[in-house]
Amino acid sequence: MHHVPSTYDGITAGLAVLVLLSEFAMLRAPLLRSQVRLYAFQSLVVASLAVFVAASKHIDELYVLAALSLLLKVLLVPGLIMRLLRDADTDLAGSSVLGVASAILIAIVVAAFGFFAVGSLHVSSSSLPTSALSIACAIVLVAFVLIILRKDVVSQAIGFFSLENGVSIASLVVASGLPLIVDVAFLFDLLVAVVVFGVIMRVHHLRNDTLSTHDFDRLRG
Amino acid sequence: MEVVVGAIVVPVEGVQALQVLTILFGAPLVSGVIAHFEARLQGRRGPRILQPYYDIAKYFRKETLVTEESSWVFLAGPIVAFACYLTVPMLIPVLTTFPLPLGYTGDIMGGGFILALAGFAVALAGAESGAPYAQLGSSRAMTFGALIEPTILFVIFAVALITRTDLPYALSATIRSSASQMVRPSHVLAAAAFFLVVLVDTGRIPVETHSGTLEFGMIDEARTLEHSGPPLALLKWGSTMKQLILYTILINVFVAPWGLASSQSLGSVLLAIVALLAKAMAVGGVFAIIDNLFSKLRLFKITEFVASAFLLAVLSVLVFYAGGG
Amino acid sequence: MSALVVVLVCLPFLMAIVACVVPIDVTRHLTIVVGVTTFALSIGLIPGVTHSSVTAGGLIRVDSLSVVFLLAVTFLYATTAIFVRGYLPLDPSAAGRVYGRRFYAGLNLFCWSLVIVPLVNGLALLWIAIEITTVVSALLVAIDDTEGASEAAWKYILIASLGLGIALFATIMMYYAGTSVLGSSYNLSYPTLLASAAHFHPDVVRFAFVLAVLGYGTKMGLFPVHTWLPDAHSEAPTPVSALLSGALLAVSFYAILRFFQIAVRTLGPTFPRDVFLIFGVATLLLATLYLLSQRDMKRMLAYSSVEHMGILAIGMSFSAPIAVVGVLLQVMAHAAAKGTAFFGVGSVVRKFGSKDMSKIRGGVGVLPWSGPMLILSVLALSAMPPFGIFRSEFLIVYGGLREPRDTVAAILVVLVTLAFFGLSWFTTQTMLSPSVPPVEGSPEAQVVKGEVSNWIVVSMAVGLLALLLLGVHPPSQLSHLLDRAAYELRAAR
Repeated sequence: MHHVPSTYDGITAGLAVLVLLSEFAMLRAPLLRSQVRLYAFQSLVVASLAVFVAASKHIDELYVLAALSLLLKVLLVPGLIMRLLRDADTDLAGSSVLGVASAILIAIVVAAFGFFAVGSLHVSSSSLPTSALSIACAIVLVAFVLIILRKDVVSQAIGFFSLENGVSIASLVVASGLPLIVDVAFLFDLLVAVVVFGVIMRVHHLRNDTLSTHDFDRLRG
Repeated sequence: MEVVVGAIVVPVEGVQALQVLTILFGAPLVSGVIAHFEARLQGRRGPRILQPYYDIAKYFRKETLVTEESSWVFLAGPIVAFACYLTVPMLIPVLTTFPLPLGYTGDIMGGGFILALAGFAVALAGAESGAPYAQLGSSRAMTFGALIEPTILFVIFAVALITRTDLPYALSATIRSSASQMVRPSHVLAAAAFFLVVLVDTGRIPVETHSGTLEFGMIDEARTLEHSGPPLALLKWGSTMKQLILYTILINVFVAPWGLASSQSLGSVLLAIVALLAKAMAVGGVFAIIDNLFSKLRLFKITEFVASAFLLAVLSVLVFYAGGG
Repeated sequence: MSALVVVLVCLPFLMAIVACVVPIDVTRHLTIVVGVTTFALSIGLIPGVTHSSVTAGGLIRVDSLSVVFLLAVTFLYATTAIFVRGYLPLDPSAAGRVYGRRFYAGLNLFCWSLVIVPLVNGLALLWIAIEITTVVSALLVAIDDTEGASEAAWKYILIASLGLGIALFATIMMYYAGTSVLGSSYNLSYPTLLASAAHFHPDVVRFAFVLAVLGYGTKMGLFPVHTWLPDAHSEAPTPVSALLSGALLAVSFYAILRFFQIAVRTLGPTFPRDVFLIFGVATLLLATLYLLSQRDMKRMLAYSSVEHMGILAIGMSFSAPIAVVGVLLQVMAHAAAKGTAFFGVGSVVRKFGSKDMSKIRGGVGVLPWSGPMLILSVLALSAMPPFGIFRSEFLIVYGGLREPRDTVAAILVVLVTLAFFGLSWFTTQTMLSPSVPPVEGSPEAQVVKGEVSNWIVVSMAVGLLALLLLGVHPPSQLSHLLDRAAYELRAAR
């Protein structure tokens, strides 16, 4: 723990921290549009992290992966959601149950738990520093907090997509040698899931004329 | 950087005194430059660069008026604060890379405590005066302080973890040692957190408009509303000194610890003074630019802001533990 | 044999494509043919896997464990196809035709995705297959445009996708566990992993296994991530509910079992079994308590499914191999029983026009065939002899009583009895109590005596026959298959 990390480690961990920070920023974003933009930014950072790893460790497959995820997560998915937002004509994210400051504090506690849980595994990897895996776990947990606290379908969907970003970073850390075909299959599966999300969101909006999940309390017990 | 100009060696006590004197006399200059620059950015001519000196001198000449409800605390507050601001420069690396004798009397935590004491004294004096806006400002300052103080603590922890000591001199030496240290995530996060803390503590946008007297939004400025005469002069001077001290910590401990004197020769010390003031003006310029880019946050949104600063500080400690980063 | 498997993989998918273009009258019958064919093909695979596995290319691998689940899925495919023929009204309008096409295409696609889960070779492909089942079934849940359906579909897709995100994390961690032995680039096929599992890093495998139970357990219906289940199963169209309860939960359990197979080789049997125990008891307890307070018939059956998943998990936590045989038998029997029960409920709902149990009385009088069969299927779900679930739960409890901690078996029996109370209250209430004579001149529609459709009766009869077969005298080939599958799941030490 007392050794000084190299510049490569520092930069990659820094990029991972940037992704985590954008996750926290989503807790705060009041407009749905800004959440979508934050998600696009986050995916951009993840893609650049993949490119950086590919360049430094000479794993060429990651270039393809980075390009595909750029296309999918930075351009296509935000575009689809923006279109849904335009049709739905809503602006504000559903109010969350707690205030922003409390949400941030809860998310900090949750992220700290994730850090230490994963840190105790003593995972060592050739492609990224260990801290990146802990950060990825923290991103996943904060995405959970986001989904639990938000009360409209678009915020919850974006929370889910950013959770996938966290899992992508984890896969970069521990599974950068995963066969490319598998990674591509994962990505396209994600695309299909996005399409289904979109369909169901649209159905919900057409039926209830709102994107809020406030009335989702009919089915109980 | 080492430039030996002549062989004149300044005795170590002299360098110590010079540290305090630089802050004491350089602070209003830095303040004036920032105000002028800000006005220029907005297209105005702006006040004279030396205006703060004239203001302080003017206040010293005026008489002191005290409200009926206040006691000795009201007059003691500014003096205590000023004394604290004179003490802190002895503890932090202002001019030199090596610790000066009195520098061992307190570590960075001690410096933080003394700064907090100063703020507390001013807030207490303001609350004691019995005037509503002064009390409002004091209570607001203490409320936001509740989140800012833990942030400062975590920043200090991050510093301590990285260097395994508590001395600010050690951290600046570590940062200077290699590029990899500069990009360490925990260092970057701690620096970012401290940047936000400085923004809150010096009362700049987006927390507070430091120019003008919008009572509904004033926090730091409101505490000093009731003072007049020499106490007011001490308060104004003190606040400029606090600004310069915070900038110094930000620059010399976190961001750009270069240009400090590594020996006691007169040339290097003078160069250090100039470098410090120049860097402080640069940082102030950054704050002035932020001033023009953003608008003031509504009061209840400031909690989000300080929570974000707290987040950055906590993350810097966590990331350190996570991977030695 | 490999050709059999390839046909099995392609057939339902082709049927889904065909359903998009062919008129619905043909589709209805063609689906039944395809369903029965796949079931026959699965039976045909049994001899091939009793001693080894069948592979087709690197992507497909069938062993005895796969065939157990494949039998459950394809049986339900066949009977559901028969049920839908009778349940879905033939609406000649344009909207009705579009709905019918969509429904059949979705149904076949869903069954295709369920069929390929036990057939694929490798954890990565497993994840992809289960993701496909999630997205298709979410669309099917939402296909009936009711308010409850849209809420249920949203909850389902969100929670299930979250679970699969965690399961992806688990897959990646398991991949990482293998890199120390297998190098940094290998494919996650089962033989590769199982061969070197003993040398994996134990902490990482522990973490991966717990994540897998949480992640895939979301789709299986384990507590605490089961919350989507009652909503989705009750709001979906009845044939979809039958498939969800009987087949989807089963294949999600299959996914966890694959992780279990690897984990016992690395960690020994204790830790994975303890994990199963904790989740199983919590699930069973919760399901029983909620079951007792239900008013909606389909929701009640959904909680019964959760209860059975809890029983499966508890069964896996017992060390006696006979308990594992019981678990696998229960997978098959539950598929048949739950399917039949849902078919009966569908018939009742269609007849009475409501899912609310307080409004339904005198079922057996109105539905002379499906009424009594519904009662039988619900009793079968409560483990009444001579049906299959009785045999399977008997085996599980027997295995559990041989444990040093035999209190768990006792708890299981108590909770299952409680669930029986709940279910039998429902049957007596709706089916056996005399129907209320209609008030003179009331505007309520008279409930007409007579079956909704004979096809429904046939599908339920087939299900009950299968249950009888499993309970009274399972064919020896099937017993060998179950033994072999339990052997696959054994702990190495």
